[in-house]
Amino acid sequence: MAGNKRADWSEWSSWIRERDDPKIAHTRPEALDDLLVLDLSSRSFAGCHCSSFLAEHGAEVLRIEPPGGDFIRTCTPYGIVYEGEGLNYLTEGRNKHHITLDLSRPEAREIFKKLARKADIIIETYAPGTMDDWGLGYEDLKPDNPGLIFGSITAFGAFGPRSRSRMADYDNIAQAMSGFQYDTGQMLPAGKSYEECPWAVPTKSGPWIAWFMAGTFMAMGILSALHWRMKTGKGQALDVATSEAYARIDDFVALWYEHTGRISERFGNLDIALWLYCFAPTKDGAVFLGGLRLEMWQAFADMVGKWDEWGAESWTNVAPFTKEEEQLKWSERVFAETRKYTSSELVDMSLEYSRHGRLAPITCVVAPILSPEDCMKDANWIDRGIFVPVSDIIYGDVMTARGQYKMTETPPRTHWVCQPAGHANESVYARHLELDASELDRLKNQGII
Amino acid sequence: MSEITWQDYKKNKEKKSSPLEGIRVLEVCTMLLGPIGPALLAQLGAEVIRCEFPPMGDVTRSLNPFGWFYKDQSPLLLHINQGKYWVGLDLHTPEGQRTFCELAARCDIVENNFRPGVMEHWNIGYRKIREINPGIIFLSKNGYGQWGRYARENRPSNDGASQALSGYSYMSRFPGQTPLKMRAYIGDNYGGMVAEVAVLAALHYRDRTGKGQFIEFSQTENVMRPMSWIWPYQQITGKTPEPAGNRDVSVCPADTFRSSDGIFVALAASTPEEFKGLCTAMGKPELAEDPRFKDHLTRLREENAVAILKIISDWIRTRRADEIEALAEQYGFAATHLYTAKDLVENEHYRARDFRTEIDDPMYGRYRNYEFPVKMSETPPNTKWSVRPVGFDNEYVMRRFLGKSDAEIQKLYDAGALAKWRDAQGRRPPPGWDGKAGLRTE
Repeated sequence: MAGNKRADWSEWSSWIRERDDPKIAHTRPEALDDLLVLDLSSRSFAGCHCSSFLAEHGAEVLRIEPPGGDFIRTCTPYGIVYEGEGLNYLTEGRNKHHITLDLSRPEAREIFKKLARKADIIIETYAPGTMDDWGLGYEDLKPDNPGLIFGSITAFGAFGPRSRSRMADYDNIAQAMSGFQYDTGQMLPAGKSYEECPWAVPTKSGPWIAWFMAGTFMAMGILSALHWRMKTGKGQALDVATSEAYARIDDFVALWYEHTGRISERFGNLDIALWLYCFAPTKDGAVFLGGLRLEMWQAFADMVGKWDEWGAESWTNVAPFTKEEEQLKWSERVFAETRKYTSSELVDMSLEYSRHGRLAPITCVVAPILSPEDCMKDANWIDRGIFVPVSDIIYGDVMTARGQYKMTETPPRTHWVCQPAGHANESVYARHLELDASELDRLKNQGII
Repeated sequence: MSEITWQDYKKNKEKKSSPLEGIRVLEVCTMLLGPIGPALLAQLGAEVIRCEFPPMGDVTRSLNPFGWFYKDQSPLLLHINQGKYWVGLDLHTPEGQRTFCELAARCDIVENNFRPGVMEHWNIGYRKIREINPGIIFLSKNGYGQWGRYARENRPSNDGASQALSGYSYMSRFPGQTPLKMRAYIGDNYGGMVAEVAVLAALHYRDRTGKGQFIEFSQTENVMRPMSWIWPYQQITGKTPEPAGNRDVSVCPADTFRSSDGIFVALAASTPEEFKGLCTAMGKPELAEDPRFKDHLTRLREENAVAILKIISDWIRTRRADEIEALAEQYGFAATHLYTAKDLVENEHYRARDFRTEIDDPMYGRYRNYEFPVKMSETPPNTKWSVRPVGFDNEYVMRRFLGKSDAEIQKLYDAGALAKWRDAQGRRPPPGWDGKAGLRTE
C-alpha cells in the first residue's frame, strides 16, 4: 500500500539496544532507592507482587513475617519445595530483606511502630480490622509519620457491606468473582452434558492473575501517592479489593448487560467482540490469528488463497463479521484452511505475506500456541535477556520471570530471588533499630522475632 | 479506626485532589494495550492528550460485542479511554509532526504502541522528543519490543499472540484440551498496568533528579511475569508443567465445583483453621486430622489433593450454591458462585465502594463503569468524562496547551494536519447530539 513502507528500524534498534539491554542494567541507578518499605503481606501473593515491583526498582523492602515464615511459602505446586522454599515464593521473595516479628505480641508491636516511623510505605494484607486491633492501623501510625503511605489489599476491601466477610483473599475466588471465569472456556457441545464434557465449563486463568492485578494496581496507587507526597508531604491510606482489581479490566460485558440485559457467555476460543481474533487448529497444534483491521483480515484471506472465493476485495468493514452467527460460520471456513498447515508453516506464510503479499507490508497476526517449555527455549527471548537465571547466593541459579520491561536510566533488576524467613534479622534490626546481638537473642528466645 | 479513614469516601471523592494533578501525558496509541495506560493515569488525575489519525481514528471505535454499540460508540473504546482530550492529528504530514513535537514539549510523558521504528519514521521518536524536552518519560509498548528477531521481522501482535507465545494459554485449560484464550485481554490490560508502574517509577526518579528516560515494553514478555512457579518448576524438575483446569495446584483445596442446583461454585480453604472449618461444615471434622490432609504441603501432593477434591465435589453436589456460600461465612472458609455480568452490575458492595461508579457525561449521558480500583484516602481516583469523536477537542488543545490563534489553527486544518471525524459509526458524535454538549470553553 502506498505510503506504508517499513520504517527504518535497524539504526534505531541498535541505538536503543545499546542503552537498554538488561546486560548493562547493573551500571545504572535505581528509581526508588530512597525508599523504605515494610511488607506485611500475609498469605497473599497480591501483596508480595506489589512489594516486588518496589524492590525491583531499588526500594529497601523489609519483608516482615511471623517467626517460621508466612503461610504463602507453602503455596507451591503439588507441594514441591526447593531448598525449603515453595516455588511461587521462591520467585516473589526477590530483593527483599526477610525479617520476622510476631505481631500478636505487644513487644513486637512496639518494635514494628519504631520501624513504621521510619518507613515511607507499608503494604499489608491482613483481614480488615486486624491492623487496627493491634493498634497498628493507618490512623494509629499516621500521627508519628504523616507522610506514610499505607496500602491494604484484601478480598473485599477496607469498607463496604461485605468488607468484614470471613472469607480470605484467594486468587481462584477473586477470579470467580470478577466475572471472567464465568464467560471463559469451551462451549458445551450441542446435546452434550457436563458429565460427558467436564472440560466444557467456565474456566479460570491458570496463573494467579487476580492476585497479580491487585498487586499491580496497588503499586500504581502507591507510586502515584508517592508523587503526591513529593509535592505536599502528605501520605495516605490505600485500599484494594482483589476481585475489583481483576474485574476492572472487563472491557464491556457489564455495560452490555446493563443496557441490553444480555449476559456474556462462554464463546470458546473465538472472541465475542473481535474479528478476526481466535485460536485456530493446525495440523500439529493451534495458532492465534489476529486481524482486527479490515486489511489484516483481508490479508489472511489472501494468504490462504481465498481472496476471490471469499470476495475479500468487496469487504468494507470487519464489524459485520463480529456478529455471533457470522463468527460461527466464518470460523469454520477459517479453520478448514488452517488445518491444512502446520503452525510454523502458517507463521512463515504470514511473514512472507508481509514482504510480498498483495497488501504488504500489512499481514495477519499468526502466533503459535507454545508450551512454557518452548517459550523458555525461544531464542528471541533469550537474546532479549528474559530467561537468564538469577545467581542467588543462597539458592544458586534460579530461573524466574524478572521485571520484563527495559528502561534506559533506571532499569528494574533482580539482585536475589528469595531468603529464608528471618534471614536478615541481624542486619536489619542492627541497621534500623540498633539492636545488638544479645538483645536479638532475647527477642528470639521469647519468640518475638 | 479504618472506619474513620474511609468514612463518606464516595461522598467526598470529588471534592479532593488527584495524585497526578499537573502531570501531562501525550499519547498516540491504538487498540487496548496502548490507550489503557493513559486512561488509568487520567483516572489518577493526569491530563491526557490523545492523538488519533483523522478522520477514522482508532480501529477500537469499530469493536463491539456481537454488533452492539452504546449510543453509536464502541463499548470497548468507552471503557479504556475515559477522561482524555481528543485530537485528530495526521502524523504523516510535516505540520502534524511539528504540532506533536510542540505538544510533547509541554508534556511529562509520551506513550505509543507502534512497531519499532514507526515513531522515528514520523520524526517524533524518543531521540527527537528528548532534544526538545530532556525530562521526557517516553514509553513504547508493543508485542515484541524494539529489538531482537521478532522486532526485526516486524511481526504484528495482539493480546492473543502474547497469551499464545508465552505459554499462558497452554497453562489455562483442562488437561488434554486445547489451550484457552482468556476472555479477559490479559496481555493488553495487565500489560498496560505494568507499563505504568514503570512510568510512575520513572516519574519518582525524575521528581528526584530531573532526568527522564525511555521505557521499552513487550506485552508478550510481560505476560510471562505472572506465570510465577512455572519457570523455576521447569528448571528444577526438568518437566513441562501441565495445566489443571480450575484446580489451583498451589493451594489446596482450591477448585470449582457444581452445586445441586447446577451452579458453578469456586471454593478455597488452605490454612489449618479454614480447612478445619470446611471439614466441619461438610460434617466430616475427622478429615482435618487425616494424615493425608494434615498440613498444607501434604495436602498439595497430587494423590492427596485429588482425594480431598473428590470428597468436596461429592459434598457440593448435594448442596445448593447459596447454602455453600452461607456455610463459608459461618465456618470461615472461602466459597462463591461464579459471578456473571448481572451479578457484577447488581453488586451492592461494588456500588457502595464506588467501584461500579456512575459517569455523568455531557455527550454520552449517565452510565456506569469501573473506577480505578485503588481507593486513596487523600487523593481518590476519579473518572471525569467519557470518550469523544475523532478530533473533538482540537481547538481546545491547540488554544490551551499551545496558545494558537484561530488563524494558526485554520492553517493546520488547511495543511491536513488537523481534522475531525468522518460521518461513520464510532467516529461521529452520538445520535441526537445538539452540536454543543461536551465542547470545552476556556
